[in-house]
Order: sequence, then C-alpha cells, then structure tokens
Amino acid sequence: MTDLTVGVDIGGSKIAAAVVDPAGRVLARADRTTPGRTTAPSVVEDTIVEAVTDVRAGHLVTAVGIGAAGFVDAGSTRVMFAPHLSWREEPLGERLEQRLGLPVTVDNDANAALWAEHRFGAASDADEVALITLGTGIGGALLIGGVVYRGHGGMAGEFGHTRVVPDGRPCECGRTGCWEQYCSGKALARFAREAGRDLVGPDLTAAANAGDIVAQGAFAEIGRWLGIGVANIVAGLDPAVIVVGGGVSAAGELLLNPARQALAGSLVGAEHRVIPPLRIAALGADAGMIGAADLARVGR
Amino acid sequence: MRQHTDEAPAGVGVAAAGFVAEDRSTIYFAPNLAWRSEKIGVELNERLGCNVVVENDANAAAWGEYRFGGHDNSGGELLALTIGTGIGGGLVHGGQLVRGGFGIAGEVGHLRVVQDGRPCGCGQKGCWEQYGSGSALTKGTRGLVASGAAGSAYLLEKAGGDPAAVTGPMIGEAAAEGDAFAQARIDEVGTWIGVGAATLAAVLDPRLIVLGGGVSEIGDPLLDVVRAAFEANLPAAGYRPVAEIRVATLGNRAGVLGAADLSRPRVDD
Repeated sequence: MTDLTVGVDIGGSKIAAAVVDPAGRVLARADRTTPGRTTAPSVVEDTIVEAVTDVRAGHLVTAVGIGAAGFVDAGSTRVMFAPHLSWREEPLGERLEQRLGLPVTVDNDANAALWAEHRFGAASDADEVALITLGTGIGGALLIGGVVYRGHGGMAGEFGHTRVVPDGRPCECGRTGCWEQYCSGKALARFAREAGRDLVGPDLTAAANAGDIVAQGAFAEIGRWLGIGVANIVAGLDPAVIVVGGGVSAAGELLLNPARQALAGSLVGAEHRVIPPLRIAALGADAGMIGAADLARVGR
Repeated sequence: MRQHTDEAPAGVGVAAAGFVAEDRSTIYFAPNLAWRSEKIGVELNERLGCNVVVENDANAAAWGEYRFGGHDNSGGELLALTIGTGIGGGLVHGGQLVRGGFGIAGEVGHLRVVQDGRPCGCGQKGCWEQYGSGSALTKGTRGLVASGAAGSAYLLEKAGGDPAAVTGPMIGEAAAEGDAFAQARIDEVGTWIGVGAATLAAVLDPRLIVLGGGVSEIGDPLLDVVRAAFEANLPAAGYRPVAEIRVATLGNRAGVLGAADLSRPRVDD
C-alpha cells in the first residue's frame, strides 16, 4: 500500500492542500482563499478542514502536514505568531487532529518548502542549504547536516526580519528596516509604483520579460537587495547552495543576475572563498505542501 | 574517553582569526591579517612534527565555552559571540560546531548592519564589527575625547591627557564609577551588539548566547544594554522564548581550551 499524506500550505493569500505520494508527486489538490487577518483564528481553521476534507476524499491518507506562514514552536504543534494572520499562540496541531482524526504536524511553511526542495527539487545535491522564499514577505529556512534547522524555540530561519537598514521602513512585525521591506513581492510592487508602473505580481514579471525597462529596474532593485541579504546569510552560515523560491522567483534570471552581482560585491572575503550558487526553486508554489506532506510522513 | 600521557601531545590545536577551510588546515582569508589561502596547518605540521588542527578562533572559543564553560548544555545548543578587535561567532548545534558547506560558517562580524556604512578591514562597508566591537568602542571614544566632546574630561584625565591612550577597560572602569560619558559610549556599542544579536536570533533562534572577548569583561554595564536592545529588536518578541545572554566564563582561555579539545583525536562515545 502506498503511504499517502496530505500537505497543506497556509500562505498570506492562499491555502493549498494536496495528497502527496512518497516520491513527492501531487495526486490531488484543493485551493482556498486565506481569510483576512481580521477574522477569528477559527475561520482559518474551518477553511483548512474544508480543504483537507475535500482533497482526501477517495484517498487512503495516514497523516496531515501543515506548512504555515508563522513562527511555529519546537514541538511542531503551536503557531506562536503569524505576522499576516490573526494567530497568536494558536494550538493549531491539536485542534486539527481533533477535527480531522489524523496525526497532524505543523511546521513553518518555508521549512516545509526547503524540505521538499532538498528531497525532490533544486537542492537534492546538498546538505547545507538556505532557502529564501520571496512572496508577500520573505520566508526562510535552513538545512544543516541534512536536517531542517529549527533553533531552540522552532523559530530559526526568519530571514525576512533581519534588519538591513537602521531606522528604515516600518514592518508589520512592529520593527523597522526589516529585509522584507526591501526584498519581497510587496517591495517589488512599491519600487515599480515609485518608478511609474502600477503593476503587481505576474503582470510585472510579464512586463519585464517583454522588455519594459521600468519593470526590469524594479526586479534589479529587489535583486540587489536579495544579494545584499544573502551575503549576510552566507557570512553567518556558509551554505553550499542558496535556493530562491516564492512567487517573485518566477522572474528567474531577471532577479538572480542582479542578486549574484550584489552577493559577490557584498560578501566578506568573496575572492577567497566558494560563493554558493543561487538557484531558482524547482517545485514552485507546490514546494510548501509537498514538503509538509513529506515531513508528516518521514517525521522531522 | 581517551587517556593522554603528558610526555607528548597527540596534537596541536591552533585557533586563528581567519576563514578556515573544511580541511582544518588552510586559511582562505583573514580580514584583519595578511593571510590569503595560507596552508598554515601543513606548514606547522612539518615544523612541529605532530598533528596540527587549525580552527577559526571564534569557533574554538564557542567550543571551549560549550565544553568547559559550565553552561547548561541540555539540548546541545550554544551561540558564542567573541567581541574584541572584531566580532567572531561560533554556533554549536546538536552538540557539534556548525561549520557550513565550505567550512567557514559563523563570520557574523561581517553581517552588514548599515548600507554604505563604515569601511571594514574585509573590504566591505557597514559590517557589524565596525559598530559593535571593542575596536569600535575604543576608536569611537578616542575620537570623541580628542574632539573635546562634552563630558569627556574625566576619561581624558584617566588617560593621562592623551586621547589615544584611552582603552576599553578604562571606559568600563569610568562607567562603573558613574561617568555618564563613558556609559553613553558603552550604551552605543551595547545597543549595536543587541541589535545584531536580534538579527542572528531571527535566523538561528538560539537558547543561549554567550558573550566573550575583551569587551565582555565590562560586565553588567554592558550586558544590561545588550539585553534591552536584544529584546527590543527581537522579531515576534512576546510570542517566543527569549534567549538568555550571559558573559563567557572562560574569558580569553576559551579559544585555547576549545582549540586543544578540537585537536584531540575523536573517539566517539
């Protein structure tokens, strides 16, 4: 019997659930819109239950793995803080186990995506990996010695809230100058708007690919900030591979070229060390749910 | 445990302020020294006639504190920051030093904290160690004393009238005696240490941060500021456990003890 699990990716705008087999293949999927941050935590929970119930119909599923955009505790059950949702110390794992009648593991969405890229995607050749996901904000995750590095409280890898500018732009987390205010989907749209292009997301990528210099300039700007921030991660942790995922990464080389330049120009001792390659994530938007499903299967 | 006689050491551990390659012998780069791709270990091995293991100084200090510092090691986690001329970092995870993909993890002194900031010995600008190190403290203070900044008279007197003679311990001493100018200098550097440590905590989420190096000898006048800035800048503060920040217990011996222990032939378990 094939061991099937469900992976659920809970993002700021979308909740995606999938039945995943042990080879990382998606057999069925269901998407929902994420309820806004002003709604009660239980509304988000209802939406997750709906999506899982929907997708598991007709499949023999043994466990559910959640990848959530937030700080998840070390015990992989509780979402301590989700900047883009209303969760505060939310016992999500326990609640979902009761409602779904299956074992549920909860992890940070970026941890889940990294695990998927390591098992089935762009970083299958490396055990020391940093993943940067560029979506609404920045998610991040670390693989050290082939294992997801979660830190003491389960909150490692929150690269988006490393400070890159003292007294810089205000961030939803309540602080200022966070990296994600300069390098994210939101920052991209802002750079484009300031330069006179009122486009967001895929439209901006399409314009840049079609030769729009203003749109390309916005990608060059967040690419530059990407390289600057990655240089900090490489200085601290010296990973063998950097994987860039999230919606913004669909821009590919438009983003990575300026990032590589900025990385080489910002990294301490750049001429005397191996500069790790920057690669676009291979599994795209599915990485989070595939990784969450695999983590629910193989354990942490 | 392996027993050693005291006649001949089984190995020599060298802790060096540089980027040490995975081979534990080659130094790729030393921001504050002239070394560029030096095979230090091989050369010392030939001259000393015994096994030489080269380790990054801050990694060695982290290992020394972890093994012999008397900290609560449950969980096998420790982040050590060595704050002296620069800022060195060493991370112990799962009871082992984290070395990275190419051997040179932990160069946290070169995290960029200010864009287009102060120039650094590494060739970059705005590196953390230009703001939160012992050198930053003494350099900044000497400059202010030399320019006759308000309140700097006491420190100038302590330095025998020569601004260039102001030292880190002198600043610590003056602050402990209640000198507001000296305390303000410590506040500034301590705040940078706390801000940088909060960025590291966003990435690494450590349970225990041990501060070593010369600057840590200032003790509480510094530590209180570091802790306050750390907590004020920690993402999701209030919804997460806050790492404990302590002063290193081994002082300058941490690096030597760590390097020696790391040079020991490993017999697991």
